Amino acid sequence: MKAFSIFAVIIAASMTFSACGKTNEIAVITREDGSGTRSTFTEMFEITVKGDDGTVTDNTTLEATVANQTEVVITNVSGNKNAIGYISLGSLNDTVKAVSIDGVSAETKNVKSGEYKAAREFFIATPKASASPAAEDFISFILSAEGQAVVGKSYIAVNDTAPSYVGNGAAGKITVAGSSSVNPVMEKLKEAYLAVNPNAEIEIQMSDSSSGLSNAAEGLCDIAMSSRKLKEAELETLMPTTIAIDAIVVIVNKENAISNLTSDEINDIFTGKITDWSGISK
Amino acid sequence: MSKKLELIMRAKIDGEIFARSIFALSAVISILAVALICVFLAANSFPALREIGVLKFLFGTSWKPSDIPPSYGVLPMILGSLYVTAGAVIIGVPIGVLTAVFLAKCCPKKIYKLIKPGVDLLAGIPSVVYGFFGMAILLPVFGGSIISASILLGIMILPTVIGLSEAALRAVPESYYEGALALGAGHYRATFAAVLPAAKSGIFAAVILGIGRAIGETMAVIMVAGNQARIPSSIFKGVRTLTSNIVLEMGYAEGLHRQALIATGLVLFVFILIINLSFQALKSRSKS
Repeated sequence: MKAFSIFAVIIAASMTFSACGKTNEIAVITREDGSGTRSTFTEMFEITVKGDDGTVTDNTTLEATVANQTEVVITNVSGNKNAIGYISLGSLNDTVKAVSIDGVSAETKNVKSGEYKAAREFFIATPKASASPAAEDFISFILSAEGQAVVGKSYIAVNDTAPSYVGNGAAGKITVAGSSSVNPVMEKLKEAYLAVNPNAEIEIQMSDSSSGLSNAAEGLCDIAMSSRKLKEAELETLMPTTIAIDAIVVIVNKENAISNLTSDEINDIFTGKITDWSGISK
Repeated sequence: MSKKLELIMRAKIDGEIFARSIFALSAVISILAVALICVFLAANSFPALREIGVLKFLFGTSWKPSDIPPSYGVLPMILGSLYVTAGAVIIGVPIGVLTAVFLAKCCPKKIYKLIKPGVDLLAGIPSVVYGFFGMAILLPVFGGSIISASILLGIMILPTVIGLSEAALRAVPESYYEGALALGAGHYRATFAAVLPAAKSGIFAAVILGIGRAIGETMAVIMVAGNQARIPSSIFKGVRTLTSNIVLEMGYAEGLHRQALIATGLVLFVFILIINLSFQALKSRSKS
């Protein structure tokens, strides 16, 4: 009997608590420390603050759920009506809703015109010392009109007037490694490239920007993919090339009535100053 | 004739030596692996521990590796692992032990044939599948929180707890049960007052192995625990465990950050060591 009553108390308590969870408390979803998407996003919205004395402080609220993949962010946001997160424009699907930032919607044309604030570049990086002919040919394909057309399908091409591809027909194996954000477009580029140069063989290893770059510097791969700018130390051994322009979109649950947020509101939400959706003016 | 016999004998002995050396080699490999892991962990984490400071590392409450200057405090993760494991024990052990009592003492054969394979199957499910289950069932109710992770881990340690507890209960001599009946106890009284206490050390061993499983679990926990690197204020808040901390950031880490993660591994290793030693101690005590 006693055990039963304890059990009943626990059930009742958890019901009360889950009822509390039904307020409009914002559930912030962020990416893990070191993710290229996180560092770009937090710098863009001044969540990461650089001090004059060289200090850097990431003020993302400690209450934010940490998801280690774009897909996990999407699942979390689509499953929780109070959630907010951020992902790459190319990964956006219709299970979540992208909000406009400062009244500008996250559309390709707005990113291209520079009106949409949260744009970033995708890079590839090759060792300065030497690149194999096969890797060079693949890079020239990526930067050609054909390659940029592939990029333009889900992201934004860097160069609309690129010359068309002239292959050197190089055969050989190319290893590409790095950012999981760049990975989807790289897979498509690989497919298109193998159609024009069947002699080549491309292996793509998905990890993250930093490890891709260090792999390229150590000669473990031919081309690194990076979703963030290269650091000073990395620029000593690697040469970056911009291959696409991406935007970071802030996503909310489809049931959420909010469709626009200002940059300040985004900063306040992600630093934990605003913790409830009622704090946002619609 | 005797020469032939001698040859056969010699060949037999050679074969025996050969076989024995293969067995010895196999045994050495596992010991070697443990030794290498110890050396690797120690060698890679000592520089970080020296630079950060052992106390600052173990009792620091802030983990911000990307900041300048960075801070590496694993106390939130140590507590996270302890909370989640304790939650798993609170949820998993009563269910597990009672299931074991049912299976060993009052289960009709037909139902036993159904439950036992079911429990064994539970042990074989990959942890990432548990993670998906948690994301689909637990996240919408509790969010990414200690309670979600505890419930999930509670289910995951069931097979370990049930299997070992059942074996412990079955190892109790039948005379204990019969003696209790002879003294006038009913079936349940005899089971709970005589058999269960006699199987106590076996059940404790089961619990300790369950703890070992819970504290080392990573994939499923990452998917449901929220992974916030701070000390949680309630069981409905998210938490980051030692294992999740390593997996989340290892891909990105370089330099001191990487070494700090390896040092996190060292802390986890020490925990597992303590758990195993207490398991051994319990086993040797129950023998003597």
